This record gives sequence, structure tokens and C-alpha cells, in this order.
Amino acid sequence: MIEIAKELAQEVLDAALASGADFAELYAEDTRQNRISMVDSGIDAVQDQRKAGAGVRILKGTRSVYASTALLTREGLLACAKRVADTLDSVRENDGVRLDERIFGDVHPIRIVPSSVQGARKADLLREACYAAREYHEEISQVQGSILDVDRRILIANSEGLYTTDRQIRTRISVNAVASGGGENQSGYYAPGRRMGLEMFELISPKEVGRKAARQAVTMLHAGYCPAGKMTVAIENGFGGVIFHEACGHSLEASAVSMGQSQFAGKLGQQIANSKLTAIDDGTIPNAWGSMNIDDEGVPAQKKILIENGILKSYMVDRLNGRRMGLPSTGSGRRQDYTFEPTSRMTNTYIANGPDRNEDIIASIEYGLYAKSMGGGSVNPVTGEFNFAVTEGYLIRGGRIAEPVRGASLIGKGSEVLMNIDMIGQNLMTAQGMCGAASGSIPTDVGQPLIRVSSITVGGR
Amino acid sequence: MNYEEMKQALIEAAEAAGVREYEIYSEESSAQSVETYLHEISQFSSETGFGICLRCIWNGKPGYAATEVCSKEEAARLVSAAIANAELIESADEVSLHEAGDTYEEKTTQAEETAPTKDLIRLALACQEAAYAADERVADGTQSAVMVTEKTVRIYNSRGLDLKNRISGSAAYVSAIVKQDGSMYDGMEYRFAPIPEISADETAREAVERAVSTIGAGTAATGRYPVVLKDTQMGALLRSFFEVFSAENAQKGLSLLRGREGENIAAECLTLVDDPFYPGYPAQQPFDAEGVATRKKNVIEKGVLRTLLHNRKTAAKAKAASTGNAARAGYAGAVTIAPYSFYIEPGTQTQEELFAKAEGGIYVTQLQGLHAGTNAVTGDFSLECRGFVIEGGRAARPVQSFTIAGNFFELLKKIEAVGNEVKFGVPRGGTRYGAPCVRVSEMAVAGE
Repeated sequence: MIEIAKELAQEVLDAALASGADFAELYAEDTRQNRISMVDSGIDAVQDQRKAGAGVRILKGTRSVYASTALLTREGLLACAKRVADTLDSVRENDGVRLDERIFGDVHPIRIVPSSVQGARKADLLREACYAAREYHEEISQVQGSILDVDRRILIANSEGLYTTDRQIRTRISVNAVASGGGENQSGYYAPGRRMGLEMFELISPKEVGRKAARQAVTMLHAGYCPAGKMTVAIENGFGGVIFHEACGHSLEASAVSMGQSQFAGKLGQQIANSKLTAIDDGTIPNAWGSMNIDDEGVPAQKKILIENGILKSYMVDRLNGRRMGLPSTGSGRRQDYTFEPTSRMTNTYIANGPDRNEDIIASIEYGLYAKSMGGGSVNPVTGEFNFAVTEGYLIRGGRIAEPVRGASLIGKGSEVLMNIDMIGQNLMTAQGMCGAASGSIPTDVGQPLIRVSSITVGGR
Repeated sequence: MNYEEMKQALIEAAEAAGVREYEIYSEESSAQSVETYLHEISQFSSETGFGICLRCIWNGKPGYAATEVCSKEEAARLVSAAIANAELIESADEVSLHEAGDTYEEKTTQAEETAPTKDLIRLALACQEAAYAADERVADGTQSAVMVTEKTVRIYNSRGLDLKNRISGSAAYVSAIVKQDGSMYDGMEYRFAPIPEISADETAREAVERAVSTIGAGTAATGRYPVVLKDTQMGALLRSFFEVFSAENAQKGLSLLRGREGENIAAECLTLVDDPFYPGYPAQQPFDAEGVATRKKNVIEKGVLRTLLHNRKTAAKAKAASTGNAARAGYAGAVTIAPYSFYIEPGTQTQEELFAKAEGGIYVTQLQGLHAGTNAVTGDFSLECRGFVIEGGRAARPVQSFTIAGNFFELLKKIEAVGNEVKFGVPRGGTRYGAPCVRVSEMAVAGE
């Protein structure tokens, strides 16, 4: 529990404003994280962490000062406020902040709060997943798994009078299976998660998680190398959405746009993608991995259409970069924890269903790659050069999915690839990832239906 | 409540609960950074952190619980949580705490005193001005940043250990953007050194030169070529694949180097060193995360795998001695394995000599997406690159938007020549990776 009374929060904000800032914010957090890990068919580690502290931020125009502390006492908070205030020189009369409590409500109900459940029950769920992977095939030589739950309580107060709290619970299971043979290893990975408690396992079968990871490892052990060069590629739904996350998403974050560090700066209202493409960032989806009630600046989550039929409609904006751009926050201010200053980030970001039938997409490709499972990626927003890893691929020959091929990276330039996404199917699905950027590592969903990219560089060998 | 009081509270709570073997590991840290935009400081941040972790051995099993809250109640909660967590452990691995009595080598370089904020601000602004001055095409969006960090690690255990080490780091970054004909190009350069020793002009100029050098870049043609990997990029590959040298990964069947000590696993020109006392490094570590004395060792010596990196648990399993490489990813992390200054020993070749036998090949100056495009379990990698085509014995034409792909274990064998100067990447915790430039006989390139 975070116990910072309104009066203390006011005092902290007043102290932070003492030297002439025009905005002050207090963010406090008390997070419990529990991760049980398994290897060699036995539980081998339990990580149990409580992270508690606060960050005080002031803004003056487009300059920001941030300080954080692990001391949630009155002295700790006031010292933190003084540290930020002292870095600004001028002194201003301050009328005093008056806070009004606001309750934004919770659209992400939690039925089974993980901290109320014995570790042994979580271990059973993990065991089920890992054993299923182990039993999938005799070539499976090792299985690592973990079950994670996070219970994050935040309190946000600012000099505009906001005083509010939120509690964010999420659960994730992951399995990494290794198949061995002929002096080689290949691996398979699957890690679904939700902004839910343990009721998540009523939707997601641990056994299926294990089997999915194992199937991928065994398939890849018997696959050849992926060919190299420019190809037509069909990218499957779910984590395939990482292509949009990297090729476009990061470049639409105000942190890049406001500083002129984005290929899409100044392009609102212009066509930046194929006219079949509509993309959305939606932080409001109940219980989705990247969802929240309020962002880490206390702004309610929103659903934003980023691109509609190829036309750029919106950026993802946080408070500070919004000041630089003259735009209001879109509820996109996020941070890993109190040691990070918030900035604009994605939530659940996906390409919407399109006009093409999935079977037509595969049939349209004479020779190409079918990318079934994807890993992470990265992007340089300045130039738009991006990459992401295919972890399970198949060649397409004569309009049919043929033999499996091992992983390779797909690379390209965002502005070109968005135009090359020329067929969009109808099986939209999202998948979970952790996105790393300036304000730390945060949970985000990526997603899309099956899509076709007419030409992209395949980093095979 | 301060550290000493929390330590006492934990000891009392542990003894009261009947825990006989326990360790208290803590990290106290502070960091400051300033960032510039246009011609002024745009962001300043200052962080102070403290975290403490209780590790107990309960019925032979390890149990951990960590917190940032210091109070008597929290100490009691931590003890019961650690016991409950130990009771879940099924692994039969033998775990024990390290007994006091090691002789620790003296550090040759002490941690730096934290530089005053005004020095950070001055250097960041100087970098920024130097970047704008370096080339008229330098555009807004160019940013410079300066940061300092320090961390004090303390380990106390019920077997008499009571250790403390302070490490520090300071660095400056320039991320330059240049504009020409409506297109943007970027280049980054950093220095990891004490603030007064960092040259703003040099750092900024190199960042800008790097950005300018990519103007007009084409794409490499798909094929197989000799490749010269730039020092920092070979170091980045080591970072991505260091786990193959971890005895823990080997014992779990997650590294293909399992049981291969004494075998030739790399080219003869390759020696890979792990040094906790690298001269001049302000993050030297005389003891590891379990309190075991650390030492310098060759992991690969002239191509032969000499040892994997061990902590107490993996060493006991292998009936060997710990190499002093126990590590924790943060105060709350379980004890695993990590190196210190982990680097490829320099050879004799100059850049020109490396290029001379790579005519028509590619000089790779930047790898991207290493966290996703590498797999330590398989050794496979496929990575986005920037670089130059080597023609006439020099880095002639810039190329980008191509990949190199291969396997780390094959790469180790295909290294033909090693450059004469090591460059280290930015440290994380006390760990950093370094290498000279290396020439690889052949790699698969995908591009145009």
C-alpha cells in the first residue's frame, strides 16, 4: 500500500515548485513481483521482489528535471522535491497546490489476485507447461519455464490538482524448449500474458504453452537454413505484429517526433502506408497485456487510430513531448518504474483486419517466405531502419506452404515497408512482449492478421 | 532505518525464525544524467536507490526475498517469504554459503568520486556545441548526454563474510543527426572515462563523422564475403553470446560448449580473457556476488577452451573450484554467472593489414537488434548491419540495410586475424565486453 496523504503530496509538490517550475508531479509506487522458474523438470529459483519508491518531476517550458528515491517517508519525498527544485535557479511565489482526489475506475477486473495464491499452486501450473513440452518429443533435451505475477500500485499527484491511484496486476507464463540432435541445438519459445490474475489460465492452457514451444524447437531442428535476399514474405498474426511495432510504432512516439528524430515527423494527414492499412494503439482493451486505466502521468488510457486507410492520423503523446509539439497527451506516458521519467510509449498496438482472404495471401506467392513465429526487433526512428527476428519460417512454393527454414532477421526501412504491406488478411490476433526504450521495459501487445509484404530483405545464409 | 539497522533487523528475524544459514546482499546506488536538445539542457535526472535481498538456506534449499523498504515488519516479512520460497525449490543442486577466509586481491583502480552536476552540464553542452560546429549539415534532433553512476555492494553472511565494494562509471554520448537533401542520417559515439578526461570535440566530431559517412549509402549485394568486424561490434557479439561460456548454461544443456574444456573451439589467434582488475577500470571487483575472491583468467587461450565461468554451485557440480564469477542481475536476482571485463586479447594487425586481405569484403561498423537476432542456445545469429565495402585496402563505400548471418561457434573458428587495439562497450553493472577489430574469412550477407 502507498500511504501518501493528500496533504503530504501537496507539500511535496509545493517544495518541487519552489524555484519556479510551471508543473510538478509526484509518482509513487509499491510493486510486488514474483517469478518462479523451472529447469531440468524442477523448480530451481523463486524471485520475490518488492520495489517501492517515488519520483518527483518538474517541468519548466520544455525542460524537465527528475529525481527518484527509494525512501517513501516524508523526509525522503521532501528531499527528492528539493533536489529537483534546486536545479532550477529562479525563485517564484507559489500559490500552493490544491489536490482533488479523482477515481478513474477500473476496467480490468481481477478475479484471482496472484498474491493471495500459494506458491505451490503457481508451481503446479508451471510444471504442467514444462512437462507438456518435455513430453512432446524425444528430441526435447531441456525445458526452461517461468511463471510471473506483478502487482503494481501507483499514486500520482500533480500541480494541476490531480491526486489518484491505480493498481495494475499482470500474469505471464513462458516456456523455452530446446531440441538437440547431431551436435546442434534449436529452441522454441512461447510466453503468453494478460493484465489479469491467475484466472488467465482459464483462457490459456499451460499444456498448450509448453507444446507450442516444443513443437517449434523440434520443427526447427529439422529445418534447413533460410535463404538470403529480397523476397515476398507472408507474416502470420500474433507476434507478427512486431513488424508494425518496429517499422512504424516507435517512429510515431512523440519522444522521437517532437525532437525531429522520426521519419514520420510532420506527416499528419499524409499517406504513409498502403491504403489497405489501418493501425491502432488501444490502451483500453479490458485485461489486455498492454492495457491500463491511467497512464503513468495519470491520464486515462485511450484508443487511438494511428493510421487509417494509409493516412497518418495520430501520434502517441506524453505530457512533456506534447508541450514541444503543442498537442495534448494521448494517455501514452509510461515508465518501467519510479526510477524512470515517463515518456511516450505504445500500449496494445496492432494492424486491423483487412480486405484479403488469408488463403489468397499464401496462394498469391509463387516463391517466398511464410514467417509463422517472430521474436523481438529494434528500430532506428531517425532513418526508419528496423529489424526483427523470424523464429519459425517456411518457404512458400507455388502458392503453398512448403518446407520449414530456420530463423533469420527481416530488415527494411519503415517508410518503404509500410507501402509494401499490400495484402492484409482477417485473422487479427495479438501477442505479448516487453518493449524496451528510454523509460525502461514495459508490457506491450503487438498484433495483426496475416499480411503480405511484397518485398523485404531476408537475412538468411 | 539505515542499512546497518535493516541488517540487524534481518539477522534478528532470521535467527528468531530458526534460519541458521543466511546472506544479506544489498546494493546502494546513485546516478545522475543530463541531456541536451538544441542548445540547452533539456533533461536532468538524479536517482538514488537501495535494495536488499535475504538469501537463506532452508532444509538445504535456497530461498530469496528482496525489498526496498527498510523496517522491522518488512524484515520479518522477508524472512518468512524467503523460507516459503525455499520450500518451493525442487532442484537437487547443492547450495551453500561461502565461508570467510579468502584473500582478496587489492584493487589497482578505485571508484571515482562523483563529479559535480555543473561539470556534467558543462560537458554535455560542450558536446552539443561541438556537434553543431562539426558540420553545417548537423540538424536539430542532435542530442548529447552525460551520466555518472556509482554503486556500493555489500555482502554479509552467517559464515563470517562481511564485504563491501564501491564501483563507479561515467560516460558521455553524442547522437548526431545530419540532414542532406531532405533525408536524415545519424551517428552515435560515446566515451566511458572520468568526466575531466572526456574530450567533447573528439566525441562529437566522431559522432558527426559517423553520421556523414552514411550519406549516400547503398546496399551490399547478397553473397558471401570476407568481413572485418569493428571492435565495438565484435564486443557486442560477445555480450550477446557470453552465456555460452557460463558453466550453468553448459550444465543445463543450454550451451554447446558443455564438456569441451581442453578442446580447440576457436582460431589459434583468439585468446579470450576475463579480468576483474582491468587496469584503469573504476568498477574493479575483488569478490563476486557470493563473496568468492576473483581473479584474471583466460577462458580461451590460443583457440583452446581453458575453462567455463563458474560460481560455487556449478563448481561443486563439476567438482572444480569457483572461478569467482557469481553474479546477480540486480539486488533481487538469483545468483547466476557473469564475467567482468571480458575481452578478446589484442593481436598485432593494424586496420590496414586487416583490410588488406579483405578486398571486396565488408567492414561491419554497426550491428542492430542483437537482443532478438542472436540465440545463445543455438549459436545462430542474423543481424541488421551498417558498414563499408572494402576496396583498395580501405573502407571505401558506405552500405546499409543488409544483414550478416552465421553461427557464433563457426565464427570463432573463422577469425583469421585480430587487430591491435581493444575497445570496450559501455559497462552494465560491473560487466563489460571488449574486442579489437577482427577479420572473418567468410560470412553470409543478405542485401540487394
